Amino acid sequence: MSAPLLEVRDLKKYYPVRAGIFLRKIGDVHAVDGVSFTLDRGETLGLVGESGCGKTTVGRTILNLVPKTSGTVLFEGRDLATVGRREWRALRRDMQIIFQDPMESLNPRHTIGTILEEPFVIHGLGTAAERRRWAAELLERVGLPASAVNRFPHEFSGGQRQRIGIARAIALKPKLIVCDEAVSALDVSVRAQIVNLLLDLQREMQLALLFIAHDLSVVRHVSDRVAVMYLGKIVELASSADIYAEPRHPYTRALISAIPIPDPEQRRSRIVLEGDVPSPINPPAGCPFHTRCPFATAVCAERMPAWDAAGPGHAVACHHWRELPPAVAKEERDARLAGSG
Amino acid sequence: MSTSQPILEVRNLCCGFHAEDGYVRVVDDVSFTVARGGTLGLVGESGCGKTVSALAVMGLLPQPAGVIESGTIALAGEPLPAAEGRALARIRGRRIGMVFQEPMTALNPVHRIGNQLIEALRLYEPGKSTGELRRRAIELLEQVGIPAPEQRLREYPHQLSGGMRQRVMIAIAIAGRPEVLIADEPTTALDVTVQAQILDLLRQLQRDHGMGMLFITHDLGVVAELCDEVAVMYAGRIVERAPVHTLFKHPRHPYTRGLIASVPRLDTPAKARLETIEGVVPALDALPAGCRFSNRCPFADDTCRALAPPLEPSPLQHDVACHHWRRLAA
Repeated sequence: MSAPLLEVRDLKKYYPVRAGIFLRKIGDVHAVDGVSFTLDRGETLGLVGESGCGKTTVGRTILNLVPKTSGTVLFEGRDLATVGRREWRALRRDMQIIFQDPMESLNPRHTIGTILEEPFVIHGLGTAAERRRWAAELLERVGLPASAVNRFPHEFSGGQRQRIGIARAIALKPKLIVCDEAVSALDVSVRAQIVNLLLDLQREMQLALLFIAHDLSVVRHVSDRVAVMYLGKIVELASSADIYAEPRHPYTRALISAIPIPDPEQRRSRIVLEGDVPSPINPPAGCPFHTRCPFATAVCAERMPAWDAAGPGHAVACHHWRELPPAVAKEERDARLAGSG
Repeated sequence: MSTSQPILEVRNLCCGFHAEDGYVRVVDDVSFTVARGGTLGLVGESGCGKTVSALAVMGLLPQPAGVIESGTIALAGEPLPAAEGRALARIRGRRIGMVFQEPMTALNPVHRIGNQLIEALRLYEPGKSTGELRRRAIELLEQVGIPAPEQRLREYPHQLSGGMRQRVMIAIAIAGRPEVLIADEPTTALDVTVQAQILDLLRQLQRDHGMGMLFITHDLGVVAELCDEVAVMYAGRIVERAPVHTLFKHPRHPYTRGLIASVPRLDTPAKARLETIEGVVPALDALPAGCRFSNRCPFADDTCRALAPPLEPSPLQHDVACHHWRRLAA
């Protein structure tokens, strides 16, 4: 087997918390606290979790948009920490990002043409005429009229702006796109259009996607594998079929059971978690979830559970996953497995 | 639902805003009812007029731009006078409570939770002493599931989590023991596990107090879990109205069908293409002639492009505004 496109090992990002008149450091926000995963060419890894779990920071640290505290990021086998400035520039072409709110990432004073030509200009590609043609081609590829080049971002709806954001991200034919809540702000009918566009582009261009979102039904739909994050750590990672049919970690179970199902006929037991996510400043010792976990015991408060294989390609970090009652009734599990074929 | 008198009845509501380049009607001939103790879901995408309808009911349309052109709003059978001034809004606030999407913007950041709650209570129970109101405030916070309520009363909104702030908003909304609660996307800004907590709370409060609820959302999953009846809005009009089971099982309007089909479900094949509704919602000042959905509808013909279909009442309380629903259902 060849090396994965992206490999992340024990990634950490701490933000110092300062207080007092001398701004003495009084602690750290453990935004990302030891995250490891791999991503293959053409694959989608979904990264889910609730606000503040660190999923966005993972995406940004990988792209070096925020510097990491420790850990290793390998892209095509190369350690990004050892890459020089010039090489970074070349690597940037291969790694792109799409943000949640395209209005904040598109310069409101630039025409769409300027915005889409910019990546080519930065990387010194093509003549002015070629760049104009490429910009028009990109627009058509994402389903917008080529005439849009002369218009400004505010003239477009949210969904159209997201198409422009996608056009810019694919301009340099990247190998990896980090989609940071890329469809979360969109209306249902538009969201489906954008999801389809991303899936089409992925197939055409062999794109790897790191799909960061809090909407689990969308994540399941686009992802090959899903990693569930809680308080800066991945607690479970499995194929998207397995994680929905046989969630092992109590947090994953609660998260999945909380998704409202658009079908009034389907009633199922819901695990309603007590309380809120603890503060990531000086997070609890042991398992990050033990303060809210209905199955927590003394050991959970003391030791962080090690990774355990719950099946092929199914990793879970829980002391008690073997002893938990089945999360999903058999019929429902079969239905979910059948659906994800 | 039942044949008894609905707690909230909105008839032929038309309202809109004066904008720079003239008047724009945002809500066009909208009628709906909320049964006593029942929940009506008002569903639609951004800009369809669902929030403006609710604000009109509350008498909270932004002034002076917002205008109610026509229509009647009746609470427990008595028509409410057209909204004018804060005093009236207060009466409505007592009998109709409202919860908004973003509790951080609805709560005053420089006042303690306790003061905000007691201020609201004082409006409803003017004769009572501050001590009595304080006790009532603690009781309310307990009712909405806030731990250590005495301590919370002394805190400021920023000290609470999003879910806790929304619980405080709900406490304020139910402080006047309203007959109807209007909840405008109350869980949209919350995480999914917190959303589950808040939906449970609303359900339980509704059971305990027998409130009617108008629940505004874009999330069909939440509708399916919470509502008894659903009205689907598109571009300022209600296009379909039905009991929740009927709507999800036999959606009639092409828009409703598209909306339901475009949501990925846990049992749709992964990475398959999702059903979509082509195009985008038209701007309210550039609506297509005839049926407002005609420019996106795969079934539209010349009739649809010329003539706006009325919301046709049909058996089993399943109303739909489409020229072709019978043909589509076949």
